Amino acid sequence: MADDQVIAQDLPKAMDVLNDIKTQADSVTGHVKDLLKKVKDGEISTAKGISFLESKYQLLLSYLINLTYVMLKKVEGGSIRGDPAVTRIVEIRTYLEKMRPIDHKLKYQVDKLVKMAAMGELSENDPLRFKPNPDNLTSKLAESSDESEASDDEKDTGKPKVYVPPKLAPVHYDEDTPVQRQQKKEEQARKRALRSSLIRELKEAHSDAPQEIRDSVGFRRSVETQDDRHQREYEEDYFVRLAVSKKQKRKQSMGMVSTLNQITKFGDTSALFGGEGGASSSKKRKRSSKKGKKGAKKGFKKRRK
Amino acid sequence: MSEGVVTVRTRKFLTNRLMQRKQMVVDVLHPGRATIPKTEIREKLAKMYKTTPDVVFVFGFRTQFGGGKTTGFGLIYDTLDFAKKMEPNYRLARHGLYEKKKPSRKQRKERKNRQKKVRGVKKTKVSAGKK
Repeated sequence: MADDQVIAQDLPKAMDVLNDIKTQADSVTGHVKDLLKKVKDGEISTAKGISFLESKYQLLLSYLINLTYVMLKKVEGGSIRGDPAVTRIVEIRTYLEKMRPIDHKLKYQVDKLVKMAAMGELSENDPLRFKPNPDNLTSKLAESSDESEASDDEKDTGKPKVYVPPKLAPVHYDEDTPVQRQQKKEEQARKRALRSSLIRELKEAHSDAPQEIRDSVGFRRSVETQDDRHQREYEEDYFVRLAVSKKQKRKQSMGMVSTLNQITKFGDTSALFGGEGGASSSKKRKRSSKKGKKGAKKGFKKRRK
Repeated sequence: MSEGVVTVRTRKFLTNRLMQRKQMVVDVLHPGRATIPKTEIREKLAKMYKTTPDVVFVFGFRTQFGGGKTTGFGLIYDTLDFAKKMEPNYRLARHGLYEKKKPSRKQRKERKNRQKKVRGVKKTKVSAGKK
């Protein structure tokens, strides 16, 4: 049978290993007995040791005890499933794992102490004796200024800094009283009246200068046609149709209608002839702002704003 | 009432070798008539340049105030393949060469909601994995 063969192969090895264990255990027990005797005789004092190391070897001992119990059970053929010894083993193992980094950190201290114990007291100048001294970092010279600065900083950092505008001497604002505003309005109305068609015709009739007949559409109209031409050229160059905003559309439609309406309007000349403040239509002619376009249309800009 | 004869003139003619086409500004004079439909203009242009009307693409026609004159743009491609490559989809759709397939409204909304859960480039992959 295969099992017998396996057993036959392993048997001599197992015997060797077991003998090995026996000899090693004998030597270890001898060693431990010597140590115990020494401790009992008072040659080696175990008081005043590093408590960390003491806890460490206590843990190791209990770990070993539990391990041997588990091995004994296994050798006798019993099951170790759910055995409290196993949980204890796991617990102690975790503790030991956690202690390992602390061990590493304490290495320096432990080495120093061991050296001291071996060689007696260390001399004053031994570098092992020095520990870090934070007091050496502060300078002892400029103490007073440091203190005052510290106190200032404390005061300022208490409240958040609020912006305080610079205190300049205030000056009285003389313009824009109602009287002045009225004067300005009158001035503007007078100028507009002078430009109206009625006054111009009167001027022409009574002046000696030769009469100019111009087939002009007015300055504003000429500006618009230039703009239109620019737009048309742009469209034909770039093969796009630019979008017409609502304002533009309204202006175009109004432009077509208003030429007929203007025939009967002669302009408001009341400002010159002492009329009392007609409803001055403030003509705010705002140029339409830039249009928002995509792609090729983005390159198009109004020549005049 | 269609009276008067339609005249088609081209301005600013340019042979665009890079896009394999001829491009021009088209002026249509049609006194007494409403704006001419694009199909008619295409046929006239095809006759002028001795091609078939299916490679002629016209767009952007604006009639002058008062009527009678319309200005637009025209492109004549060398072959229909080039036209399909170069032209934008909406203009191909006008000729019936392109159909925009639109999933149903419900599908689009579901896709949008699935995309909301994902950030960045993964949004394009969301619709692929319809669960």
